[in-house]
Amino acid sequence: MKLSKKLLSTAGVLTLAVLGAQPALAAQTTAGTTITNTVSVDFQVGGFSQTQQSASDTLTVDRKVNVTVAEVGTTTTTVSPGQTAAVTTFTVTNLSNAVLDFALTATQQTGGAGAHSNTDSFDVTNVKIYKDANANGVYDAGTDTLVTYLDELGADTGTATVFVVADIPLSLTTGNVAAVTLTATGREGGTAGTQGIALVQTTGANTSGMDTVFADAAGATDAARDAAFSAKDDYTISAAALTAVKTSTIISDPVNGTTNAKFIPGATLQYCIAVTNAAGSATATTILIQDPLPAGLTYDAGYGIKINGTVTSGVCNTDGATGGSFASNKVSGTLTSVAATETKTLLFRATIN
Amino acid sequence: MKKMIADIVGFLVLGSLAAPAFAAPASPVTLKGDVKLEKTIVENGISKQTLTDPKVVVPGDRLLFSTAYRNGGAAPVEHFVVTNPLPSAVTLAPESAASLEVSVDGGKSWGSLAKMTVADGKGGRRGAQAADVTHVRWTLATIAPGASGAVQYHAIVR
Repeated sequence: MKLSKKLLSTAGVLTLAVLGAQPALAAQTTAGTTITNTVSVDFQVGGFSQTQQSASDTLTVDRKVNVTVAEVGTTTTTVSPGQTAAVTTFTVTNLSNAVLDFALTATQQTGGAGAHSNTDSFDVTNVKIYKDANANGVYDAGTDTLVTYLDELGADTGTATVFVVADIPLSLTTGNVAAVTLTATGREGGTAGTQGIALVQTTGANTSGMDTVFADAAGATDAARDAAFSAKDDYTISAAALTAVKTSTIISDPVNGTTNAKFIPGATLQYCIAVTNAAGSATATTILIQDPLPAGLTYDAGYGIKINGTVTSGVCNTDGATGGSFASNKVSGTLTSVAATETKTLLFRATIN
Repeated sequence: MKKMIADIVGFLVLGSLAAPAFAAPASPVTLKGDVKLEKTIVENGISKQTLTDPKVVVPGDRLLFSTAYRNGGAAPVEHFVVTNPLPSAVTLAPESAASLEVSVDGGKSWGSLAKMTVADGKGGRRGAQAADVTHVRWTLATIAPGASGAVQYHAIVR
């Protein structure tokens, strides 16, 4: 031991610098690997070299089961009411030193915290789990595979991207949240194409074979050391909140003309239907407006229908484009789009019979 | 995990491997290899190291490999050199890397780790690190008759 002590005194200072540059440990030793430490000893007796001696001992590396599930990205998935195949994305990483299958489940919750400082308030429907078959990180309907488990995920950071795909019910308002939790639970690997049986942690006394140790952390809804990990993501509704206001103004009458016109037979009225989308809402598109003409009025075909017009200080402007149609005593028109806080109008004229 | 301690005493490494061990001439030196699992236990705010039989060993665990020796002969043993190739599944722990005589080239050259360099894979050389160590070695000048001791190193399962 003399030499080693001598080396300690000379190497002690330099070692600190080396430690700082030490890289992360390389790949994990595969479960079942035996570690055999063998020493050989050369020595002399009476000045003559003797036969070399050796000694060894062996141990087997056990199976360390560890898995993480992570939401991809840090934001909620914004969805519209009635949207189908809305996607949240997760990665499942096998941190074990053995190839394993991972059972996948997507669960919903009733109330409680979502994933992004929000609160769950509805459930999505038709929840399915897909594996990113072409590994492009984007859900491709028809290409990615519908799965209930990940087959033979590689040891030591084998990773798969998983999509939770669901439909969004109608009749939801902006800010409604549906949280989903994806849980990956380790299962025995080794047979491709079939999901292995549940993993069993070796408890109590040592066994002669390879033991199994659960070393996973606690996820969103699972406990530590249960061979499972879970992570949350959520869907947040961004709906349009439209309100419509119908106003009428008198334009002219046959007696007074356009000055101080009165609602007398033969007078011309202008109807304005103003559609407003509330602040914070999603942009509404293709808004169909239908207005049956009341009895006693005749549609002014010469003026026509003006759509996508604007409103200034509550007064409808006559700046819309000609469009829409009149049929079966009903005025119809489609507004192209109404963004949040925006107001668009449909305008038409009629005369009093 | 299966632990086997193979006490190979007087084994003829340089001779015929087929020769039964008990037929080898008695060597004055006996060796015994052992391995323990090192755990740090925090108790009442004080952390202490414990050594246990390695029943369950998983990557990241710390191991203490030791080799006990004894001079059972009547004459002093000189230039007692213990050479220990590291199993490929472990890496030398930093404290052992700092204190032992090591080799990073398969046992060809020896010295302190701080003075070693290895190829950096880009055509140059870089300073050797604990993970680069391939062998450790201890040299004892003499072991008196009847004297015994042990050499040991700390390692981490990759």
